Amino acid sequence: MSGMLSKSEAAATQRRATSADEAMSQYAQGDLAAFEIVYDVVAPRIEGYVRRKVRDAGRVEDIVQQTFENMHKARGTFVPGSDVLNWAFAIARNLVIDTGRKAVREPAIDTTAENDSLGAVLAAALAGGEELFLARETGALLVQTFEGLTKLQQEVFELVKLEGLSYQQAAGTLGITVPSVRMYAHRAFVALREAVAETPETPLVPA
Amino acid sequence: MALSPDFKSRLLASVREVPAPTRKETLRRQTWLFAAGLAGALALFFIKGGLRVTSRPPSLIALTSLGTAVFAGVGMWLLFTRGPTGLRRPRAVLLGAALLSTIAFVGWRYGISALYDRASAWPGRVGLKCLALSVGTGGLMLFAALMSWRRSEPVTPRATGAAFGAGAGLGSALLVDLWCPVAYVPHLLLGHVLPILILAVAGGLIGGRMLGLVRRR
Repeated sequence: MSGMLSKSEAAATQRRATSADEAMSQYAQGDLAAFEIVYDVVAPRIEGYVRRKVRDAGRVEDIVQQTFENMHKARGTFVPGSDVLNWAFAIARNLVIDTGRKAVREPAIDTTAENDSLGAVLAAALAGGEELFLARETGALLVQTFEGLTKLQQEVFELVKLEGLSYQQAAGTLGITVPSVRMYAHRAFVALREAVAETPETPLVPA
Repeated sequence: MALSPDFKSRLLASVREVPAPTRKETLRRQTWLFAAGLAGALALFFIKGGLRVTSRPPSLIALTSLGTAVFAGVGMWLLFTRGPTGLRRPRAVLLGAALLSTIAFVGWRYGISALYDRASAWPGRVGLKCLALSVGTGGLMLFAALMSWRRSEPVTPRATGAAFGAGAGLGSALLVDLWCPVAYVPHLLLGHVLPILILAVAGGLIGGRMLGLVRRR
């Protein structure tokens, strides 16, 4: 599970994404070899995103595979020059939602370990401080605060802060406007910041 | 935990086995189907009598049609095309485009007709004929749009279908505007606005089943 992307990572990702956009445009025109380039850039990002959402490793592979198969089937509708990452995230998100609906009746899984790592990621995303990353108490509080956010606030925060998508890409993925994304991100960020601010000083020291 | 080592090769192999139309083939199919839908709508319009001047001054017809063309055209463009991200526009934008274009074209139609003193009630013209013609012509355009995008919308099939329905309704408003001389508000609401709503709902319902990449059971 990755934390928030640094500026240099984000810039490198942006360069790769541009080449993936071109590759997807070529693939949409019928160049079969270009799909591999798209895969190399898009698959790790989609995998990270899906893994954060779905616990079952087998299902993660299914969703990633389905995402790429859908991109393949719909390649004729890909507008050249569009953002392939945005498109892929939107497809993957829909599949995750569909999978979640189907899995509603399945037995619950112990999510303690899952929540611990989410807490660590959230703590790292917010402050970047090592002490915060290591503080389980802060992580637990952040998870609690994060789970108290609305579904859209959670999704916007994940896409923008954890996956490194731009506001425009997140808006396209979620089917909402850019100002709405800004608003949801701001609210989520403020809520999580306030949660960190309320944490006492002492528990931040790693055990 | 990462994906299985052979995942990439399995995926690329499976993708090669499934035929998928290229952009050129898709565009060709969409153009033909859209043209067929438009031709069908025009044929129905002319079967029903085509342009009807009645007692309307030609300048009134020209002005109302021009306004409707502008408002409906902008609405159709927003509803049928994609946003800068390459995905369908956000739902709020689609809803806003459908609502504002409809309000604008009805307001324009009523306002211009009122200037010519032709916005009063027409006994016996409730709007049912306009409703039928609008749903008929718009329905053909909607059917063509849904067929041309069949099994190719990976993200928002229902919203896309509803947007197509509203867009087709606005397209039909262009034709019906040339046909109908009545600008009485209750008539406009029943015969000219309700069809847009009907087509949008129908588009959403049918689009949810027809546009998605995976057939819904």
